[in-house]
Amino acid sequence: MYAYNQFDQTLVDQRVDQYRDQTRRYLAGEIPEAEFRVLRLMNGLYIQRLAPMLRVAIPYGLMKSDQLRTLAQISRTYDKGYGHFTTRQNMQFNWPTLESVPDILADLAKVQMHAIQTSGACIRNTTTDPFAGVSADEIEDTRPWCEMIRQWSTLHPEFAYLPRKFKIAVSGSSSDRAASQVHDIGLHLYHNEQGEMGFEVLVGGGLGRTPVIGKTVRKFLEPQELLSYLDAVLRVYNLNGRRDNKYKARIKILVNAVGIDAFAEMVEAEWQFTKGKDLRLPTAEIERVKGFFKPPNYLSVENAQSSLKAEMAAHPQFAKWYKQNTRDHKQPGYRIVVVALKNQLQAPGDVSHQQMDGIASLADQFSFAELRSTHDQNLVLADVAQRDLLSLWLKLTDLGMARANIGTLTDMINCPGLDFCSLANAETLILSRQINETFDDMDYQYELGEIQLKISGCINACGHHHVGHIGILGVEKGGKQVYQFTLGGSASNDASLGKTLGRSIDQDQVVVVIGQILDVYVQQRKTDETFLQTVRRIGFAPFKERVYGTHQRSAA
Amino acid sequence: MALIKDQQLSLSHAATPHIRFADWLDDDLVISDAVLTNGADDLACLLANANKLSVIAIEFETFADGRGFSMARMLRRDGYQGEIRAVGDVAMDRIEFMHRVGFNAFELREDQDALQALAKLGEVSVHFQPSADGKGPAYMR
Repeated sequence: MYAYNQFDQTLVDQRVDQYRDQTRRYLAGEIPEAEFRVLRLMNGLYIQRLAPMLRVAIPYGLMKSDQLRTLAQISRTYDKGYGHFTTRQNMQFNWPTLESVPDILADLAKVQMHAIQTSGACIRNTTTDPFAGVSADEIEDTRPWCEMIRQWSTLHPEFAYLPRKFKIAVSGSSSDRAASQVHDIGLHLYHNEQGEMGFEVLVGGGLGRTPVIGKTVRKFLEPQELLSYLDAVLRVYNLNGRRDNKYKARIKILVNAVGIDAFAEMVEAEWQFTKGKDLRLPTAEIERVKGFFKPPNYLSVENAQSSLKAEMAAHPQFAKWYKQNTRDHKQPGYRIVVVALKNQLQAPGDVSHQQMDGIASLADQFSFAELRSTHDQNLVLADVAQRDLLSLWLKLTDLGMARANIGTLTDMINCPGLDFCSLANAETLILSRQINETFDDMDYQYELGEIQLKISGCINACGHHHVGHIGILGVEKGGKQVYQFTLGGSASNDASLGKTLGRSIDQDQVVVVIGQILDVYVQQRKTDETFLQTVRRIGFAPFKERVYGTHQRSAA
Repeated sequence: MALIKDQQLSLSHAATPHIRFADWLDDDLVISDAVLTNGADDLACLLANANKLSVIAIEFETFADGRGFSMARMLRRDGYQGEIRAVGDVAMDRIEFMHRVGFNAFELREDQDALQALAKLGEVSVHFQPSADGKGPAYMR
């Protein structure tokens, strides 16, 4: 993966000093509250309901084992011994003190990490496919391009006070695992009819209050001009995006207001000034960055393989885990392993310091000392030789991280909700607990197949509920926490926004309603039909009838 | 009012331009070559007339209004050589970015200490991306 040079290190070190001075002046009363708020947000520090929350950047979800060990150490020293992985592949600490943040940043800088631009109205952490560089269906490795975007966007002087936050996602394989169609900018690496590699550029996607699927603003972008084109889009947005209403300030509102064709023309006009100039990426630079992402020293197929069949026969639980939690690798003899952060005892995405240390050691031992975080709040060991799978599984089992539920109902996305977040209207963690208690039969979950359940505690949609096959949105009505269900959403290639099922549901009825929805699916599905396919085929009527038809369960 | 200009404290300098760009444009009798503008003005028109102006003051009504950053950048890109002055809600924690996009004068908010602010220029000494400061992107060096 990318390693800092003296230049990167200087930038991060000086940024720590800068933030330390800002914190000092704030505590001395020299910076007004409203102004410090913006300064701390640009450094990932929120003030939550109970304590500050610090969000640490994990650029495109890629980490070295030493970096994860540092996160574990920080959680012990400054927090309550755990961290939380977010849908932007970052890590959040929920209990640091405001005064300690400069020290945390200094600790992070020692292992080439920071919290720059993890919040605020600026360009956020670029996200990508957690299987980049290793998946069997990959067209092109997205990581070098993410790194080039990271460098260009870091402390960008012109785009630090945008109308609103700005999120970029990059996908480079036939199946979109980066939710690129629901980002401010989505980039798809592909080969055109002439066989040239380039980007399809989508703009104006997003979730939140006004969920929108992104629209193509440029069908093919020469990769050397990636940054000059992004620069043009950002400048058009910075000058023309609405600033009078923060709920209308995202780029999607601008794109919808002027229309995608007019927006594309505005970008093209601005791009004429920057195209072919100093933002054009030189081939040498592209090659230099690509050099950081060369394949590791893989074993030969013969050496990487073991008697997998015999091992599976001897360990049926291992066989289930292999089927559910590992994926095809482009290197023969290797598997991609998804490490579930979705057990029955912890909130989705939460990880204890012992687990962080444990998994860092497993990365050292089995996956070239690297690991990744995913947008659906799990971890990935990307390069595991088949012969090591059984040992890895045994060790993950000891850590409580071998639950074989990836892609199933209990592999849900869950924002922290009202337990932590000052924006939330409703609790969400209680729902994941109830769901885990109610649907604890793994065979039933396997029988259901792939279901993406996504839960948000407010309309800001950090839990991506709009694109869940089943989405749940917590709202507050008359002092009561109730939950709106949506069905039929997807963040993949067939991206779609879920539609509301009907009236809100009381908190204690949420698992009942999930059960009813699943019953309808099981009764109506055709052979090999997934939940999403069934919903799309039969429509909402049977689900509405089952949930609302005979019983009054609504919170009205 | 404290003014930082060309990276030093300026003791003698012109007062804040008070003629708004739109009025300057409308009124042929105005002979001033210093105007006050902000993100609400017609930027294409400002760029077209910039060569007649020696001071362009870009106003930040609130610090969160980032349009002025792109305005300065585009003025410099067009070859404007005169003074670009940041006025309004201007504080030490933003002048480094302002400087990089092309502002060369900063009228600081009342509560700001000018010497302390001066020290903020160059607080982060390395930059990845090209900007109006003439330095190319990191990969060109």
